[in-house]
Amino acid sequence: MSDPNRSDPNRVWPTGLTEPEAQELHRHLIQGTQIFGVIAAFAHLLAYIYSPWLK
Amino acid sequence: MIYGKMWLHVKPSVGIPLFLGAVAVSSFAVHVALLTNTTWVKRFLNGSDAKKAALIEQAPVAAVPDPGATVLVAARPQTDR
Repeated sequence: MSDPNRSDPNRVWPTGLTEPEAQELHRHLIQGTQIFGVIAAFAHLLAYIYSPWLK
Repeated sequence: MIYGKMWLHVKPSVGIPLFLGAVAVSSFAVHVALLTNTTWVKRFLNGSDAKKAALIEQAPVAAVPDPGATVLVAARPQTDR
């Protein structure tokens, strides 16, 4: 039996994702990185204020 | 979005754990390096020196024994009488 996705011309192999799917995945990854970055920046601000770091 | 087409060639089941793992390992390594190469991170994590000094000041000089407790007192032997 052949995979019906295999005949879909919009899918790209080896991953089998379409370009909009790949872009959506990438958007989520970028958003997660941005949220992580904001939390990390806030943590570093607290460390700068409350520890002897750079003083 | 730029580089979004990367996921057409890199399997997300490989690329995402690799990406998150790289972030975790590198940030952990930076913090371990700070802990081992500086003196102040260790002192900071142990609590401030001022706070520790205050705790020592507040500590009782001698504990008062509970009523009814057995207290052993050493006495000097009297040899001159």
